[in-house]
Amino acid sequence: MTGSVNDPVLEVKGLSTSFFTDDGEVKAVRDVSFDLAAGETLGIVGESGCGKSVTALSILGLVARPGRVVAGEILFKGRDLLSIDREELRQIRGRDIAMIFQDPLSSLNPVHRIGAQIEEAMRAHDKIASREVRPRGLDLLRQVHVPDAARRVRDYPHQFSGGMRQRVMIAMGLSNRPEILIADEPTTALDVTVQAQILQLLRDLNRDLGTSIILITHNLGVVAGLCKRVIVMYAGEIVEEGSTEQIFDAPQHPYTWALLRSLPRVDADRHERLRSIEGLPPDLIAPPPGCKFNPRCPFRLERCFREDPELEPVGDGHVAACWVTMKRAHAEMGAGSLVDTGPGAASGVRPPIAPEAPDPSGADGQDVESETQDRG
Amino acid sequence: MTRGTLIYIAQRLAIIVLTLLVVSFVVFVVVHALPGNAFISQRVHGRSLQLLLHEYGLDQPVLIQYWNFLKGAIHGDLGVSLYIRGEQVTPLVLRELSVSCELGGAALIVTIGVGMTFGVLAAIRQNTWVDYLLTSLAVVGYTVPSFVIAGLGIMIFANFLGSVTGGAIAYSPVWTGTYGTIGELWLPALSIGLYTSGQITRITRASMLEVIQQDYIRTARAKGLREWVVTLRHALRNALVPVISILGTTVVGILVGVLVIENIFGIPGLGKEFVESILQHDYNVTVGVFTIFALLIGLSNLAVDLIYTVVDPRIRY
Repeated sequence: MTGSVNDPVLEVKGLSTSFFTDDGEVKAVRDVSFDLAAGETLGIVGESGCGKSVTALSILGLVARPGRVVAGEILFKGRDLLSIDREELRQIRGRDIAMIFQDPLSSLNPVHRIGAQIEEAMRAHDKIASREVRPRGLDLLRQVHVPDAARRVRDYPHQFSGGMRQRVMIAMGLSNRPEILIADEPTTALDVTVQAQILQLLRDLNRDLGTSIILITHNLGVVAGLCKRVIVMYAGEIVEEGSTEQIFDAPQHPYTWALLRSLPRVDADRHERLRSIEGLPPDLIAPPPGCKFNPRCPFRLERCFREDPELEPVGDGHVAACWVTMKRAHAEMGAGSLVDTGPGAASGVRPPIAPEAPDPSGADGQDVESETQDRG
Repeated sequence: MTRGTLIYIAQRLAIIVLTLLVVSFVVFVVVHALPGNAFISQRVHGRSLQLLLHEYGLDQPVLIQYWNFLKGAIHGDLGVSLYIRGEQVTPLVLRELSVSCELGGAALIVTIGVGMTFGVLAAIRQNTWVDYLLTSLAVVGYTVPSFVIAGLGIMIFANFLGSVTGGAIAYSPVWTGTYGTIGELWLPALSIGLYTSGQITRITRASMLEVIQQDYIRTARAKGLREWVVTLRHALRNALVPVISILGTTVVGILVGVLVIENIFGIPGLGKEFVESILQHDYNVTVGVFTIFALLIGLSNLAVDLIYTVVDPRIRY
């Protein structure tokens, strides 16, 4: 599907993860499939709550109750992480697949020394000989550019700054020389200059050690700086996948297109306003029928309300799940010069009137509902 | 230990000394104001009473008596018993203190051991039958008073099962003081400890449930640590902070328990002396017992505050 020459180290097939709450089943991730090749850098982007973090947590079996992986396969070198026993999964966590998290203060244990927290990651596995654990811990801190590492291994997390804590997290993640590093919003809690340093660090690791990286972020700029390939998620599903160039230069899903338009640009006109995407992501307990993006899409067609689009090839190694695609939107709906990006603005398509509300006077939903109740 | 910590300890010790002064003064004045005189239970009257009062300096104004008491107390001399005349109070209360400490220590071990084990198990098995069973036991523990548990225990183990236990816990009216064996201590220690361990169970469970939601627990799992390492080294260590904060009041609860339980089992410790010395108008012993109790509470609270800094490195004095 993606034109990668290497054998994938990780294959996610049809992954679905749900949270079983009192209000109903929240389908956080639905039928997500992707591959990760050895040494590849893959970005997963989307708004908050689109399921990107849950996808990452599902890979390592770290989804907390009431969440549960309900379907799919996660093949790491051919072994399905969802069906192996707990002890086997434990051995893979941190040793073969490591993960670093968004908020490095809350992700480090406040009552243990930095050095001890890095060392225990190595001691939990037998990959690093026990006499090498201590010197390697120190080496790792130097590798991630923590100044005065020899003294600072004895410090506690609260004595570190935000950027330094994230370096500690990365050092911890790398301690067992994992094949895959999953970075969940690694730069979100940091200021911009520190962000750049952390990204450089990840880039070096990928280049020097050949570690595959899955970078999860809502920040498209971060993805552009690090990843070769990008997956765009919306409402728990993959809506588009392609190389970074394809996604940034010729996005085919209206959501990706809108996401890119909402980025602030230095080369934009001074008076140009930032364009946000109107509306909110759908309720994942009862998502809308058809395409999940239809309530917010300026290019929607009647078909988008009835049928859920599948991922279809739109270029070499580039897939998108859309009945319209931006190629057509540009050609037929003048997407390039669109000012009003409200729902249905470009196509003029309005939501179909629900069959149980046959009121032709155009009264709004609430009135229809109360009338229905009156009749009942 | 940093210089700041040492200064903090010095300050706290100074406060403890002040507290002891206040406690001893108040108790001194109050016991001397009790109706009757020191020898009322010994049926001494007339001339011999006057001689006795003079001999022990009890005919002087209370403030003068307190001043004389203080002069001795500074040198560790708490005076003499007025009931067992001539018996030195300091060695008496120290001997009783060692008995009470042994009982209280055993109760503390029960409290922490049972309380934290139950709390951790209930938390990691939240909303299962394990959780329901252990939290129910905790509720029973801290709603049933220690003297009820003690009474039931004596009834069951000494009376009904007397042939099995060989009377090992059928205490003679005045215990001979061969304290020190678990066989003799376990029932009194359990009677006190079950009450306080119920509280510790609840706090530990609540605290654990909060901690296991934290991001660093997810990090610990992501590192591939074994589940028991995650639970003990990462979760429990953090969950201890609120548990330790109530340990100070728990120690007071145990001391109160010691007071009641010693009188039920006839264990010759501070708690039993506390009641007897008041009934016998043995002023000096009462003041001594009170002062030792105040010292114990002060020191254990200081210990709790110092344990804080060990458990949570973010806390510094």
